[in-house]
Amino acid sequence: MTPMPDIGTWVAALLTLFALSFLYKDNPLFRFTESMFAGVSLGYYVGTTLNQTLVPNLIKPLTHDFNQNWDLLVPGLLGLLLYMRYVPKTGWVARYALGIYVAYYIGLDFTRRIHGEVLPQLGRAIVPLSKLDSHTIFYSLVFAVGVFSVLIYFFFSKEQDAVTRRIARVGTWFLMVSFGAAFGFTVMGRVALLIGRLNFLILDWIYPLIGIR
Amino acid sequence: MAGFVDKLLNLDRRWLFLLVFIGVAVPIILPIGLPVTTTGSTRSAFEYIEALKPGDYVIISFDYGPSSAPENDPMAEGIMRQCFLKRIRVVILALYQLGGLQLASNSIAKVSAEFPNLKYGEDYVNLGYKDGAAAVMKRMGDDIVGAFPADVRGTPLAQIPMMKGLRSLRQVSVVVTVATGLIGEYWITQAHQQSGVPVIVGPTAVGAPKYYAYLNAGQLVGMLGGMKGAAEYEKLLAARYPELGRFYRSTRAFTATKGMDAQTVIHFIIILFILIGNVAFMSRRAAQKKAAAR
Repeated sequence: MTPMPDIGTWVAALLTLFALSFLYKDNPLFRFTESMFAGVSLGYYVGTTLNQTLVPNLIKPLTHDFNQNWDLLVPGLLGLLLYMRYVPKTGWVARYALGIYVAYYIGLDFTRRIHGEVLPQLGRAIVPLSKLDSHTIFYSLVFAVGVFSVLIYFFFSKEQDAVTRRIARVGTWFLMVSFGAAFGFTVMGRVALLIGRLNFLILDWIYPLIGIR
Repeated sequence: MAGFVDKLLNLDRRWLFLLVFIGVAVPIILPIGLPVTTTGSTRSAFEYIEALKPGDYVIISFDYGPSSAPENDPMAEGIMRQCFLKRIRVVILALYQLGGLQLASNSIAKVSAEFPNLKYGEDYVNLGYKDGAAAVMKRMGDDIVGAFPADVRGTPLAQIPMMKGLRSLRQVSVVVTVATGLIGEYWITQAHQQSGVPVIVGPTAVGAPKYYAYLNAGQLVGMLGGMKGAAEYEKLLAARYPELGRFYRSTRAFTATKGMDAQTVIHFIIILFILIGNVAFMSRRAAQKKAAAR
């Protein structure tokens, strides 16, 4: 005998239907589901931050071995300082913590962006055509024309003349092709989510309900 | 004719929603089994892992949440199956806060049940979730134990047999990041650039276009783009490993290959309605011009 769907499956299935009901028209069931989803997501976020970040990385080390981990008080206090913005008189204190966080991420991201993104991709854009076969030469030429024309399109320091306007127009075509590809991928991604939901509704909820294995 | 065109252009969009709903539901109920063709980026990811030896280390990073699970789960599970079949040691971790760890645990439970001869701690390990993505990767580049002192069960890494020799990312054969959002990019721009560890990315379809730049720049060894990429991987697995072929054909559970039936039907419907919409729009414009000329 096929096991009946459990209470969790029923809740998930009904909430899925409530969420999809918005496609027909706005209604209280959709709004209930939307509000509940937002609330549960926030609660989950707070819970994981507490249990998987603060407890293992700050609270446990401090309570288990304070002498070895006393330096964790510094990031802990910086985190607390961020909440001073809710106290009108001492709100300015939060800026120090924020300044340190911003500086930290600029430092981390600056090298990451330059060495991990800008330089390797710039290197890829400079290819010696003499060493390549005809197919790769064609591909590299399209690549080079695309990079150059899009850069001209986004060059705003000088007013465009007749020549640069034409090059920029080529750039817009490259941009449109890339936007089209991105849109196509986006549609595919969103449809995949619908497939996932309907798959759940049909295979995990309706089939067991009507006794289909 | 003009009346029909006006009707088409003013069609209530809810009819389209209904059509899309039917287009997805019918292939799930009655699978069509449409063919899936493989692309170079998926094949290179597959062949790279295929070339690894038993005992090599692969990190699978669960950098996505439930919102993209239908696309990402089949990728992570397909690669895990391949590694388990080849006796490659798999290190699982999660850097995505909203559900990454839960999905990782679910996938391990599901796939490890198919390989009862494998042992936790010797063949695979779950290091759990760590906050800070790029900072965690930076630490892992030099000191994995520093970034993850214990596994998800709280066991110190020094006590886990397969982790005893693993010190840094430089010893890892490949990192597979199954990703939504920015974390997949961090693995390329931070971990790969810092330690040289090869990276395979399995992004959602929405995120896939940006990874082509990294692929072309040689910063990735392969990519599985969205559900299509996952279906391609399943096809390659089924072709190379008959036991997985039988599994993917017989399982009642959701697979990317099954999902691609619905994808194809929906793409057909979307293209059809784009064509109908454009033809209707152009014929109305032509009729309006004709009326103005009179």
